[in-house]
Amino acid sequence: MIHFENVSKRFPGGHYGVSDISLNIENGALAFITGHSGAGKSTLLRLIALLERPTRGQLLIDGRNIGRLPEKEIPAHRRNIGLIFQDHRLLNDRSVFDNVALPLHVQGFPVREVGKRVRASLDKVGLLKKEKVLPITLSGGEQQRVGIARAIVSRPPILLADEPTGNLDPELSREIMELFLAFNQIGITTLIASHDLDLINKLGRPVINLHRGELT
Amino acid sequence: MRVALSARLSAWFDQHRRSACRSYMEMRRRPLATLMTLLVIGITLALPASLLSLLKISQTMTGGHQQTASISLFLKSGIVNEKALRVATDLEQRPQVDHVELLTSADAMEEFRGHSGFGDALDALDENPLPNVLLIHLLPDSSSIEIRKLATELKEESVTDSIGYDQGWIERLQAITQAIRRAVQALGFGLGLAVMLIIGNTIRLEIMNRREEIEVTRLVGGSDNFIRRPFLYIGLIYGLFGALIAWLLVSILLMLVSGPLGRLAELYDTTISLTAFSLHALLLLIPIGISFGLAGAWLAVSRHLSSINPE
Ligand SMILES: Nc1ncnc2c1ncn2[C@@H]1O[C@H](COP(=O)(O)OP(=O)(O)OP(=O)(O)O)[C@@H](O)[C@H]1O
Ligand SMILES: [Mg+2]
Repeated sequence: MIHFENVSKRFPGGHYGVSDISLNIENGALAFITGHSGAGKSTLLRLIALLERPTRGQLLIDGRNIGRLPEKEIPAHRRNIGLIFQDHRLLNDRSVFDNVALPLHVQGFPVREVGKRVRASLDKVGLLKKEKVLPITLSGGEQQRVGIARAIVSRPPILLADEPTGNLDPELSREIMELFLAFNQIGITTLIASHDLDLINKLGRPVINLHRGELT
Repeated sequence: MRVALSARLSAWFDQHRRSACRSYMEMRRRPLATLMTLLVIGITLALPASLLSLLKISQTMTGGHQQTASISLFLKSGIVNEKALRVATDLEQRPQVDHVELLTSADAMEEFRGHSGFGDALDALDENPLPNVLLIHLLPDSSSIEIRKLATELKEESVTDSIGYDQGWIERLQAITQAIRRAVQALGFGLGLAVMLIIGNTIRLEIMNRREEIEVTRLVGGSDNFIRRPFLYIGLIYGLFGALIAWLLVSILLMLVSGPLGRLAELYDTTISLTAFSLHALLLLIPIGISFGLAGAWLAVSRHLSSINPE
């Protein structure tokens, strides 16, 4: 369970990313985060992954106040979260397989287990045949799916996607969203920041709407 | 999920192997730059190492000579042979003394006659003008201070006419060797620091090059240790291969000087084995290279890694 209690993020210089957010996301839920550019969607997701620290309020995940988490416990925290970005953040000097394997290597998985999980993950996003190529040779939609495969490969309980369909045409966007729905089916708590109101409205899931850093 | 210990251990080794391989590949990708850096490290380490080797060789050669360090005690005339032998036995009880040899005036005369060719002139003398001499052979590890102290004590003995010893020569040599060793050690320390900084700087550049990789690794929950590891391996590899190059240079130098040194060694009645010195240099260089490499890497990593955080 992800629980925001009067959470604010004030950046150095006095600007607020989000302010006084209180909300509750149940385990296994899937919700969208919408809002204008600069509304604080990314900030909200970054707080959960501890890419930013809240400056006020309590942010509880499974009852633990992660706002106060010591620096050296952050890696362990992030291993429970799959992160997906609009720009994929893949490493172009290594194969698709090695990109997807990174979260497992970081956790010290045995070699054979790594192979099995990476292939299972690539299979889920339909890219099993592309494991040996470099990400740069793939289309935008395919790269995004590699990013998703990397996010789910260690089977984290939480998935956070920041505008995963931002650069994709409607057809591809739909496919990507369906992937998220499928992962949510197996119990992964999923938060997706998106501008794509048409698509969101069709899916009929809870929507968290932000305006200038505040809930509306 | 419980994972068997052996599986976890193999995963751990696998992580390290992967880090090391990755670092090695990264260095191979820029062979020229890597080779240049290695040469700089090698030459820098070779300088103090070869000086130390030469110093050690000179010590071995003069060490053989030092063993023969001895004091000649010229006895007063009128001390008969029995008395001289008794004094000799007494002297052998002293801690620095190995053994004492009595060279009687008659012996001395014989020797002199044989060597000098003044036989006839000597026959003309009524009396043997040479004194009885005790040759006091010292233990090889006596320090110059001990030798001097012993000499001073012996001078006070009632039987002593005068004392002769090669103290001055030994002392000077020891002082010079000591001074040179100090200088070489200081030089070695300074150059070691230089190696550390070279490796540190190389790794700083490497960290900047791999910024993206570090950020993404942090995003997927890579610990500081995990992120640090490949860079420490780069430091280790530079240190190790730099040391090997340095060793190669030292060995070449030893080979070049082996001819003249061999002749010199003959003069000193010692033999020197260059293989031994070369091996000694290797055993010295490898741990030093690795430690400075790791230290440089650690320096760079602890200064620069924390500044790289994911956007
Ligand atoms: N590191 C930062 N330092 C200062 N201000 C920041 C920082 N990051 C974000 N902000 C500000 O916080 C506010 C919220 O930013 P955020 O990136 O969360 O918006 P967003 O809803 O994701 O926008 P977009 O749709 O354009 O991605 C913006 O006004 C932004 O300028
Ligand atoms: Mg954003």
